[in-house]
Amino acid sequence: MRKNLKKLAALGLAFVMGAALLAGCESSGGGDSSSSGGKTKLTLGIWDENQRPAMEALVEAYEAENEDVTVEIQLTPYKGSEYWTKLEASATGGKAPDVFWLNVLHVDSYVDGGILADLTDAIADSDIPDNYSETLIDNYVRDGVNYAVPKDFDTNALWYNKEIFDAAGVDYPTDDMDYEDLKALALELQAAGLDDGVYPFACPVDFQTWYYQTVYANGGWILNDDATETGYGEAKTQEGIQCWIDLIEAGLSPKASALAETTADAMFSGGQLAMNFAGSYMVPEYAGNDAIADKVDCVEIPTFNGVEDNCINGLGYAVYEGSKNKDAAIEFAIWLGSEEAMKIQGETGVVISARTDAQKYFAEANPDYNLAAYTNHADEAYPLPVCLKAAELYDLESTWLTKAYTGEMTLEDACKELKTEADALLAK
Amino acid sequence: MAGEKVKTGIPKRRAGSREKKDWVAAYIFIAPVTLGLIVFYIWPFIQNVWFSFNEVSKFNVATFVGLQNYIDIFKDSEVWRTFGNTLKYVIFTVPIGIFLSIFLAALLNSKIRGTSIYRTLYFLPSVTMAAAVSMVWKWIYNEKMGILNSVIKGLGGEGHGWLTNGTTALYMIMLVGIWMTVGYNMIILLAGMQGISRSYYEAASIDGAGTFAQFFKITIPMLTPTIFFVLITSIISGFQVFDVIYMMIGKTNPAYENTQTVVMLFYRQAFDYGHKGYAAAISILIFAVIMLVTVIQMVGQKKWVNYE
Repeated sequence: MRKNLKKLAALGLAFVMGAALLAGCESSGGGDSSSSGGKTKLTLGIWDENQRPAMEALVEAYEAENEDVTVEIQLTPYKGSEYWTKLEASATGGKAPDVFWLNVLHVDSYVDGGILADLTDAIADSDIPDNYSETLIDNYVRDGVNYAVPKDFDTNALWYNKEIFDAAGVDYPTDDMDYEDLKALALELQAAGLDDGVYPFACPVDFQTWYYQTVYANGGWILNDDATETGYGEAKTQEGIQCWIDLIEAGLSPKASALAETTADAMFSGGQLAMNFAGSYMVPEYAGNDAIADKVDCVEIPTFNGVEDNCINGLGYAVYEGSKNKDAAIEFAIWLGSEEAMKIQGETGVVISARTDAQKYFAEANPDYNLAAYTNHADEAYPLPVCLKAAELYDLESTWLTKAYTGEMTLEDACKELKTEADALLAK
Repeated sequence: MAGEKVKTGIPKRRAGSREKKDWVAAYIFIAPVTLGLIVFYIWPFIQNVWFSFNEVSKFNVATFVGLQNYIDIFKDSEVWRTFGNTLKYVIFTVPIGIFLSIFLAALLNSKIRGTSIYRTLYFLPSVTMAAAVSMVWKWIYNEKMGILNSVIKGLGGEGHGWLTNGTTALYMIMLVGIWMTVGYNMIILLAGMQGISRSYYEAASIDGAGTFAQFFKITIPMLTPTIFFVLITSIISGFQVFDVIYMMIGKTNPAYENTQTVVMLFYRQAFDYGHKGYAAAISILIFAVIMLVTVIQMVGQKKWVNYE
């Protein structure tokens, strides 16, 4: 009798454990949307903790205007592709967030996967076409179909550390510089003598913030229109990369190996760089870093051969094709692109709002810095080359170009190998 | 014949029904664990095998391609390079790691003061997250401000880009790998040592055997089953090395190609590039290699492992 009782107790325990296991599965599913109690529940998938307050303010405003809708924010970190891995898994299981952030790099594969809702009509019926630059809207258009509402964009600027310039007795950089001026300024700093371990500038192997800008300004190209061939073999492309390698060789930048360990951003934040290029997404980091916040400022990216050269990247709000409340989700996504929503986002000063009339809020929210440098020529900026195999292409590029940056190979040889492998990849 | 008669007797039937009851209960008891095993290991494994014969998109749409993924693997020089790096990692870390673990276990098996403190210290790396360990070591090795270079410079030497130089980076990672696993192996070996009967040592002492003779003639032979276990698990985890490298080596690191292991390649193909079918085939290849090595060891153990 007693033995049976024990058995029974253990059995019960086993069931409880089993149930807990299943319950664990259930709750981790997440992202489910349903209509309960007459209210439409939507989820908004995002990846940036810095932007959570802005997104919460947007949700609050939307819920106030639409009492029958509640929106839940679902944050997954971007680091290590966690956001994308989870999004892909949940989309496969039919449980992706109804509206989610999508960046330009992932548009092709997500369109290919068929998980993005067609927003063409909704966008055409809204005031979005009249209030956004064509480049930004077209970033999310494939075969004439709109797949996202532009949310924000990022461009680059030249940042400098006033303390280092003052100590060296060199004039600050200005908005009207070109590449040669930048080099001259760096040489001047070098001649004036900087502290041990401090460099005038940095040239990491970085496409978006460094060499794509000069490659495009120089008339070079990376990827042709139908993504069948790469332009690494062109002399004009190589010149736009070589100009940065020259600065490393002249000792104006730390070696590529050193920058692989300690990023240019980290060095600049540590007061070890007089100048640095940085995307607009770095502004909250610099402004929030007490060690440098008062000592730094920014100017426009130097021109190259007289051509404005800035790279533009950004993200948009996409709607999940499998959403149970697709219409409500589309309505919400379109609202997120409205004047009101873009103002709320812009005033937090964390990102540059994509809507033309809301771009100014970025500079206004951080009056201590010359942030107009980011938006002055945004309309002339180059979008990143993207295709279905972009992730692989960028990895190949960084592997081969690193060899040229370290001096292991000449840039010409590295580009030759890179072109062979990259073209083979595109042909696959 | 007589035995058969006993077996068919009435008592047997009773035992049978009771046995049956026990079986059912036993199955229910192991159900939670088995269910977890099936859901999280066995089913994904079967799915993985199926994926390896398909081209699988990011969103798990599978198209059957037969052996194409495996054919591609044999043509992919990156697979062979990463396998080479992995093999190098295993060949260096396993023997050195096991040697050190035995050495430390022997030291801690003796009667010195504060053994439990030492045991805890050596075991600490094993209970620390690999990601945290990697971040700390990354700073230690840093060319510009790492403590290792500071010490070398302090002694009048020259600094070195430990993790960015293609010839040293993988060895530096091995060092971290060994440092992380030695404690765990040591604890297992220590338990093995303490399971050896005192009487062997007493007998040896009477016969006049010294400490070293006792160690090599008694401890090591009696410890071979434990060493065998540690060897198998170390080789398997060596082949699967991933987290330390993932955390320590960035894509623009000049030593990138010299440090990519086959599991790193698997991860990139599956999650960065979205080639889940190809990645599945790579993982099956890793599985096959590990199984082959383990089978060889299972056969080979008869020659050196001593079961009392």
